[in-house]
Amino acid sequence: MHSDSNALSSVTTKPGASGTDSLFGKVLDLSEHGLFLVDSARKIVLWNEWMAQASSLARGDVIGRTFNEVFPELAGKRVASVIETALDMRTASLLSRSLNKSLFPLFSANGGGERKRIEQSVIVKPIQCDGRDYCLVQITDVTPMVQREEVLRVLAREAEAAQKAAEEISRFKSEFTSTVSHELRTPLTSIRGSLGLVSSGVMGELPLEVNKLVSIACNNTERLLFLINDILDIDKIESGKMDFVIGPVDLMAVLRQALEANQPYGEQYKIRYVLNQVMAGVAVRADTDRLMQVLNNLLSNAAKFSPEGAEVEINVLQNGAMIRVEVKDFGAGIPLQFQSRIFEKFSQADGSDTRKTGGTGLGLSISKAIMEKMGGGIGFETEEGKGTTFYIDICEMAPA
Amino acid sequence: MFEITDIQRDYITEILNISMGSAAAVLSEMVGEEVGLSVPEVAFLPRRVAADKFDLNNSAKMSGVTQSVSGAINGDALLMFPEEKTLTIVRILLGDTVPVESLTEMEQEAMCEIGNIILNAIVSSVANLLQKEIVSSLPRFISGTGSEIYAINTGCEDDLVMFLKVGFGLESQSINGHVTLMLNVPSLHEFIAHLDEQINAL
Repeated sequence: MHSDSNALSSVTTKPGASGTDSLFGKVLDLSEHGLFLVDSARKIVLWNEWMAQASSLARGDVIGRTFNEVFPELAGKRVASVIETALDMRTASLLSRSLNKSLFPLFSANGGGERKRIEQSVIVKPIQCDGRDYCLVQITDVTPMVQREEVLRVLAREAEAAQKAAEEISRFKSEFTSTVSHELRTPLTSIRGSLGLVSSGVMGELPLEVNKLVSIACNNTERLLFLINDILDIDKIESGKMDFVIGPVDLMAVLRQALEANQPYGEQYKIRYVLNQVMAGVAVRADTDRLMQVLNNLLSNAAKFSPEGAEVEINVLQNGAMIRVEVKDFGAGIPLQFQSRIFEKFSQADGSDTRKTGGTGLGLSISKAIMEKMGGGIGFETEEGKGTTFYIDICEMAPA
Repeated sequence: MFEITDIQRDYITEILNISMGSAAAVLSEMVGEEVGLSVPEVAFLPRRVAADKFDLNNSAKMSGVTQSVSGAINGDALLMFPEEKTLTIVRILLGDTVPVESLTEMEQEAMCEIGNIILNAIVSSVANLLQKEIVSSLPRFISGTGSEIYAINTGCEDDLVMFLKVGFGLESQSINGHVTLMLNVPSLHEFIAHLDEQINAL
């Protein structure tokens, strides 16, 4: 304490030379902050080198003059009044750069000659020494912090704008898909109806060549309708608008129904569905229509990817707490590079225009979403050249 | 629980509201818009109960400003708001701010200054009441849960604190926060004695 007061008196009692000749004065001059001291008569009694540089006011010009004489432009401002309170009430204050637009007229020497105003954060602290009151003012250059936050502000705004734009585009795409698909479905349904009537011969016998062309038109219209229905399903799933009526479902009954519905399809591909292993009377937690949709998808896929004359094997078995339905084909298997993308939208192993098998590439993606919504799962095991087993796992449930 | 009479309560509230008025005037001038500050409630409570005022399980995050005080009273003065309210206050007062989830360094500094103005006003009214000097330190930004801030489970949860509700009126929004003065018990009794002296002199 004693040496402190010595240090203070040595820097304060010699106007014109204060701060330069004592050890403490030298330390203050090396500080990276602006420091000055005001006494109870409001006179400046200490002025470090940082202050002299930034204000262009030499120590000798300032020491002994009052704060108001040195900074007349700050009279009545907050900084002047907190110095008063520090001396009168002994309260410490902080003046942030953000809330104080006019702090000290201080400038940085910017190498190139251009002097820029320093962004400041100021603290004002009361000090008592030898029974006398002083007020210490410390100024920190926060210019780098201001610049950093400016960059942060720009980046945050850009990120916000980019996210908004992305959301807008995604919403537009989804609305567009849904509207277009709906608009396409109505005329297509009527085209299919008309073509069906023509090709069935109800409107009169057609020449063989014409009938062939009408059948091609008919089949392709059918395919387009499937595609549109799948797109609408995907859209519903993605926007959370697909409704599920979940309850106990008699799995074997639904499976038999699905097999029956796919029989003609199997005949078309010359394969045979074989129900190998069953669990009579088992009930699962599902939505009947959606479960049927998944089973149809797996059964028709298996038919499509089987060699002529092959069997497609179906097994129902217990898998832990779940019930598993397996659909096993003896086709070519799924190429390794395609396995990771199989449940993605519009994915088919044969991406060429001339692929042999029809379909939209949406079926498995829809099936996966449906199974997840019902609390189950879907997966596959495959071996190239030997075949593929797709399976779904569904929660078992006490029958209704 | 430490009870004070209605007259004592009215008197403290009145004095605090006068100093809040001048703090509000300073803030309004700084930000160029109307800022309202009021102290609608004063109570003396154990720390534990003060912490509960924020949230029953003390798990909600709060943030604000603290200053330590010494002299006639020794301890800490705290100005706390629920964390998202602190964000609201700073961003309304600063206008142009960085839209990120927590306060940036400079926004924290601005909050410190706001808290400093309010706490200095309260501490100097208390000093006036006691007719004694109270020295306060620089403000510091803090955040944490009620139990962390009030140092619950450290053995001092039954210590009495002076607990003030502070209403912050900004742009037609009304934001409630709390100021807590951690008083030591002798100064609390002294405080009440001075209060009575002044009331009797009226």
